Amino acid sequence: MLESLFISLQLALITTIILLLLALPLAYALAFKSFRGRTVLEVVVALPLVLPPTVLGYYVLLMIAPDSAMGRAWNAVFDTSLAFSFSGMVLASVLYSLPFAVQPMQQALRSIPVSWLEMAITQGLSFRQTLLQLMLPAAKGGVLVAAALSFAHTMGEFGVVLMVGGSIPGETKVASIALFEMVEMQQQSEAWMLALILLAVSFVMLSVVYTINRQGLQMGMGK
Amino acid sequence: MNHIQITASFGSLDLQVDASFANQFIIVSGENGAGKTSLLRCLAGLESPRGMLQLGDKIWLDSSAGFNLPAQQRQLGCVWPDAALLPWLSVEKNIVFGADAVNSQWLLALATQFEITALMQRQPCMLSTGEMQRVSLARSLYRKPAVLLLDEPFSAQAPAIRQRLRLCLKGLQAELAIPVLMVSHDGADARILAQQHWHMRAGKLLLSLADMQESSRKNKGGKR
Repeated sequence: MLESLFISLQLALITTIILLLLALPLAYALAFKSFRGRTVLEVVVALPLVLPPTVLGYYVLLMIAPDSAMGRAWNAVFDTSLAFSFSGMVLASVLYSLPFAVQPMQQALRSIPVSWLEMAITQGLSFRQTLLQLMLPAAKGGVLVAAALSFAHTMGEFGVVLMVGGSIPGETKVASIALFEMVEMQQQSEAWMLALILLAVSFVMLSVVYTINRQGLQMGMGK
Repeated sequence: MNHIQITASFGSLDLQVDASFANQFIIVSGENGAGKTSLLRCLAGLESPRGMLQLGDKIWLDSSAGFNLPAQQRQLGCVWPDAALLPWLSVEKNIVFGADAVNSQWLLALATQFEITALMQRQPCMLSTGEMQRVSLARSLYRKPAVLLLDEPFSAQAPAIRQRLRLCLKGLQAELAIPVLMVSHDGADARILAQQHWHMRAGKLLLSLADMQESSRKNKGGKR
């Protein structure tokens, strides 16, 4: 049980870190830029919200299969298979939780008053300075919400990680899958315990999200 | 000398401004929607008009050559209707926002002149609108800009402090020897500050300094 929990936590943590780095430029582009294919990008980012996780997992599996281009490239570099591995699960999790990271950041960036951005420009700040000194501090709540939601959502994955990871004990068997197998094997007390832990993690994460949102409303968007 | 020769369309407003000026204090007046703010935004590089802008020996805009100097490189000092103070920074940090090094002597001088020394460590949410406006004035001058663009910078100030602020701005303009374009509806601003007075109507300048001197001479003559 602890082993599967540890894998889940590890997966959620790595996925969240990758997502924060990946989602920021995506959220920036979607918040401020108009370009060809913008709608398509927005739809692709939001797809995991409505797509059955098994469908996403199936396509990721096809994409990283040992005989696919990506699978072969991975094998050539790391000398190991991407399918049914922890790394494969990270890739799938990143795609699966992408909207949970992008959308809060996109909203936070979009809600920065234009007058603030124009102030920064006319004060002579470069893009990098504006990003670090204005946009990120102003969108801090959105970034934290993105992190909390990505983490919680990854912890709760089932279909995608089962498809891509294959429930290998000690490697890709995460807590949610372990729980399913416990129930299947009638290990009631362990199932009860694991379910409670997963519930607590989700509860804490959502509490964080709601606390940040309330503080954001009180402080940030005043004047 | 500085030269403005621009045209631009903003919805129903056709802005068309052709003017030359030295490093003077210029008051821009006119009715709502006459194009005062649009003119300032064109100068600030927040809009892309057609034509030419030249400040001193620097070309800011030459649309025939497809050149529009980014706002960041224009060394501007601006006060807009929204003070745009960042709520997570203290007043002092807001004033020095974006500056590379802190010049505490200059900071103190500005804080004194704009009567905000007691507010420096406060957060913007604790300020009145008038105080926010004075902080934004101090911020606009902190980096010693090459041009000062002020859009109704005294609109939230009580009458008593306006006069002190006028004298303070007049002194700073002389000290820095830069052009100041200030949008104002207050006749006292024009009387006390204007070395040139531009009156705008429907996107065009109607009055220049020469016209104003002429008309004031006539007025005085009439009264005698």
